[in-house]
Amino acid sequence: METEVKEAQGKIISAENPDITAPADWQPVIMGILCNWCSYAGSDLTGTSRIQYPPNIRIIRVPCSSRVDPWFIIKSLQTTADGVLISGCHPGDCHYISGNYYARRRFLVTKKLLNFVGYHENRIQFSWVSAAEGPKFAKVVAKVTEDIKKLGPLHRYKKENF
Amino acid sequence: MARVGVFVCFCGANIAGVVDVPAVVQEAKKIKEVKIAIEYKYVCSDPGQQMIRDAIVQNRLTSVVVAACSPRMHEKTFRKALSDAGMNPYLLEIANIREHSSWVHQKDKKAATEKASDLIRMAVAKSIANEQLHEISVPVTKRALVIGGGIAGIQAALDIADARIPVTLVEKSPSIGGRMAQLDETFPTLDCSQCILTPKMVDVASHPYIELIPYSEVIELQGYVGNYKVKIKKKASYVDFSTCTGCGTCTQKCPVKVPNEFNMNIDKRKAIYTPFPQAVPNKPVIDAEHCTMLLKGKCGICAKFCEKGSINFKMVDEVIEREIGAVVIATGYDLWDPKPYEEYGVGRYKDIITSLEFERMVSASGPTNGVPVRPSDGKVPKNVVFIKCIGSRDEAKGIEYCSKICCMYTAKHAILLHHKVPDSHAYIFYMDIRAAGKGYEEFVKRAQVETAATYLRGRVSKIYKKGDKLMVRGEDAQIGQVVEVEADLVVLATAVIAPKDNPALARLLGVSYDKYGYMSEAHPKLRPVETAKAGIFLAGCTQAPKDIPDTVAQASACAAKVCGLFAGDTMKKDPMISTINNEFCSGCQNCITVCPYQAIVTEEIPLGYGSKEMRTVAKINEGVCQGCGSCVAICRSMAITLAGFTDTQIINEIVAI
Amino acid sequence: MDYSKQIQEIASKLFAENKIDYFVGYKQNSFDDSQVPFLITDPAEIPKLVFTDRSVFNLANYLKPDHTKRKRVGLVVKGCDSRALNLMLTESQVKRENVYIIGICCEGVLNEKGEKAQNCVECVMPDPVVYDEMIGTPTGKREYKVNVDIRELATKALEERADYFESIFENCIRCNACRHSCPLCYCAKCCLDQETSTLYHGANTSSGAMHALMTWSLHLAGRCVDCRNCEKACPSHLPLHLLHKQNESVIYENFQQHLAGMEKDDRGAFYKYSLSDPDDFIL
Repeated sequence: METEVKEAQGKIISAENPDITAPADWQPVIMGILCNWCSYAGSDLTGTSRIQYPPNIRIIRVPCSSRVDPWFIIKSLQTTADGVLISGCHPGDCHYISGNYYARRRFLVTKKLLNFVGYHENRIQFSWVSAAEGPKFAKVVAKVTEDIKKLGPLHRYKKENF
Repeated sequence: MARVGVFVCFCGANIAGVVDVPAVVQEAKKIKEVKIAIEYKYVCSDPGQQMIRDAIVQNRLTSVVVAACSPRMHEKTFRKALSDAGMNPYLLEIANIREHSSWVHQKDKKAATEKASDLIRMAVAKSIANEQLHEISVPVTKRALVIGGGIAGIQAALDIADARIPVTLVEKSPSIGGRMAQLDETFPTLDCSQCILTPKMVDVASHPYIELIPYSEVIELQGYVGNYKVKIKKKASYVDFSTCTGCGTCTQKCPVKVPNEFNMNIDKRKAIYTPFPQAVPNKPVIDAEHCTMLLKGKCGICAKFCEKGSINFKMVDEVIEREIGAVVIATGYDLWDPKPYEEYGVGRYKDIITSLEFERMVSASGPTNGVPVRPSDGKVPKNVVFIKCIGSRDEAKGIEYCSKICCMYTAKHAILLHHKVPDSHAYIFYMDIRAAGKGYEEFVKRAQVETAATYLRGRVSKIYKKGDKLMVRGEDAQIGQVVEVEADLVVLATAVIAPKDNPALARLLGVSYDKYGYMSEAHPKLRPVETAKAGIFLAGCTQAPKDIPDTVAQASACAAKVCGLFAGDTMKKDPMISTINNEFCSGCQNCITVCPYQAIVTEEIPLGYGSKEMRTVAKINEGVCQGCGSCVAICRSMAITLAGFTDTQIINEIVAI
Repeated sequence: MDYSKQIQEIASKLFAENKIDYFVGYKQNSFDDSQVPFLITDPAEIPKLVFTDRSVFNLANYLKPDHTKRKRVGLVVKGCDSRALNLMLTESQVKRENVYIIGICCEGVLNEKGEKAQNCVECVMPDPVVYDEMIGTPTGKREYKVNVDIRELATKALEERADYFESIFENCIRCNACRHSCPLCYCAKCCLDQETSTLYHGANTSSGAMHALMTWSLHLAGRCVDCRNCEKACPSHLPLHLLHKQNESVIYENFQQHLAGMEKDDRGAFYKYSLSDPDDFIL
């Protein structure tokens, strides 16, 4: 879904709540959860190839995308992150045979649920990045960062609220 | 209270050129739990590691964070440094500030520095929840089971046994040898198949480390890698192998004649028989389905003539149990039944035969003493048409895949035909010639040039009878015209298919199989020999169609894998696996469904302390678990924990920023 | 729909033949025309058993405690209840031989206002899917319709939805009655527990409640049978069905029209996969 950057008086406005604003130089925080065998290796390759991407992503390593419990996504959005990127092996390439197939089902339902309760769907993104796809990882991060920048801050359910 | 040490690496200019390392160290010092934060030029160097070791001892650290390159690079190095300082190596966390920060944000030094600080905060938060883990050692039973006594099974068994590891070789039929024993000569060198195979068969029989159990089947497999228990059903042979000398009198005297499956039913064998003259073991068995004594209680001629009194009509099936550590599956292949090719007259015309029937005919020890003949009238054929891709690459009637070996053996058949019947002529209808292999293309050329076989590119549309000849009508796509060939004999290169028992065997062994019935390898490129179930390996056509060199190579690869598995008395395993807290397990068994390795089983535990009533919970077999965490994420009651990636650790990382 | 007589007969028969240790059905409430779950061990109380369109609760919930795993139970189930029971059987929470199931071909029950309840209007399976004895005439599976509230909310703007859900979850008092009333929430440790939810979602805040309940709904996704026991139990009258029905509609649409508990040995949409599952939402 394409969204316009909402700006008012030099401030970026949250897509979810017009009361929430941030200064124009605001930078989102994106939580990246990557599987060890494909995507984490792919992100390492991005590094070794010196391909540049936006510095907003914070990466967590897990063994497999199937290790990602939906509440990691929920918790990230609730507390620290303005967006989440989960990445695993391409279908059929899972190091653990079938993990990403189970994960894929959970991701779809989680994404739709979060969107339903009022998170913009672009805040929850998934990708398949193989260990050889260093350039793809950079592209994905750039796209996700750009999308989330447009959505503005997600302060509604931030740490300080509880 | 946690006492964390943070060690930030310059990595020369790799990190320090972009990230402001001293600033990062100052930031790290602000974290409550961080006791010490130091920067160093190359932390991975010997002095760098020494610095970590000293800091651990001096500051009584409870966990260590190294901010440097990717954990995929130096995790092992730093873990060893921790070990050397007397600290549990799994209390290490690595913040990847090179691949994930300095190298990818070279133009934005401020953001890269901030990110590096965040990554360190996350690693510190995670490391606080790290637990001491210990390498798991699983005992191994050093005995391998090989299922199938074809060339794959023979090669695997011999290679394993040569490493002085005992092998139990189970073969379904009365003799080992498999399909290769049925072949006459082999491409691309035209070695006599029997001549290269039978010495290996004899080696198997005489090898001190090989226990050969012919005429038997695996009926049960329990346990896990290194510790399997197998049950083998030894079918009643009605012949006491320990006293039988294999003289063959019984087979001569037996009055019952049965189609000989070894010779593709071209001739007959007796009800008491050895499959072929070079059989190993060279002892006869009684075919219970046809023996009149066993069926009707009359006859017993074989018993009368047996000087040793080895015939025992009261013999029953026997179940043998063995403890084994690894399994090699080498069940081979079957051939596709070409019946659906009705337009060719398969079944109606006797002079249409399959390649393996042709192979048996041209075999010197075959039913026709090495001369191909027409089944209808016994005449030697002059014009022979070979049709390739019968069933292969045919989604409509057969299977989608290429059977891989047909192009080569058809070329071989053309050459063999020329050798046996010099004034004959071979016509070969083909879709493509796939001759990738050492010496293969040259071999096909040899068939085309030396033998002058006519290669016609195109499908055959129809075969019909004209007098005592078969008219083969097909398209020659290269000239774009319909051609008709008058044939004395038509040979169909039928597709290679998985043995029909493969799915049942796969389920019994707990390995997966594909839609065609071939056993599935763990990874199509990187683990083509292993199955997803640890300790079970695949050799030969049980995995996919293969020629003999590939089969032998894969069998030897299996042997190498088995020997590697058995290299120590125990297997060392990474401790980052799942464990179930059965206090919280509700026994829904959903984890068993999602586990890709069948690593989870049920167990009965008392309902409460001292209770006699039992409840069912799940239990993870640490020998099998690979630590993917699928079960952890689906466990609603949070009873499963994945060491190294616990919920607390990951949540700590998430909230640390 | 009044099957009180038939149920009383079956219950007497079961007690007489010593097939059950106790029976779970419905009883008329003493102060209004609603009904309450009713557990009897004494055949003398059989005449109090009723079943009408006021028999709203999902009685499968009463098979959760441990002692029921050892006793033989007679149980009245409607279509949706039987689907929940089916899942409990698949998930080894109930021994099939220990439960005598009286399946009712349900014509729909009433809500508090006396209208046909929303989940009954949208019911996909009014007939029992697992039973020993069936009462009524089966009418077969019905067409699946996306919940009317979900459809309505989907048309609203993101901001409106966010506001709406924030205002709803403000009222959650974290009593966990929803969990206790759900037949499929039998875990010893739960994402809604104080201990775990403090770690995961922050305890007593609107945000904490919302995120905890979302996690909870994901534990029930592909398993929830839309009996709405949770909603009936909720003292704050939260529309909890919104979360469950949203997940259900996504699962139905994307995963081979999966509906929970319809078939024996179906563990739910998250415990299987298809190679052809949607992939277009993944970059």
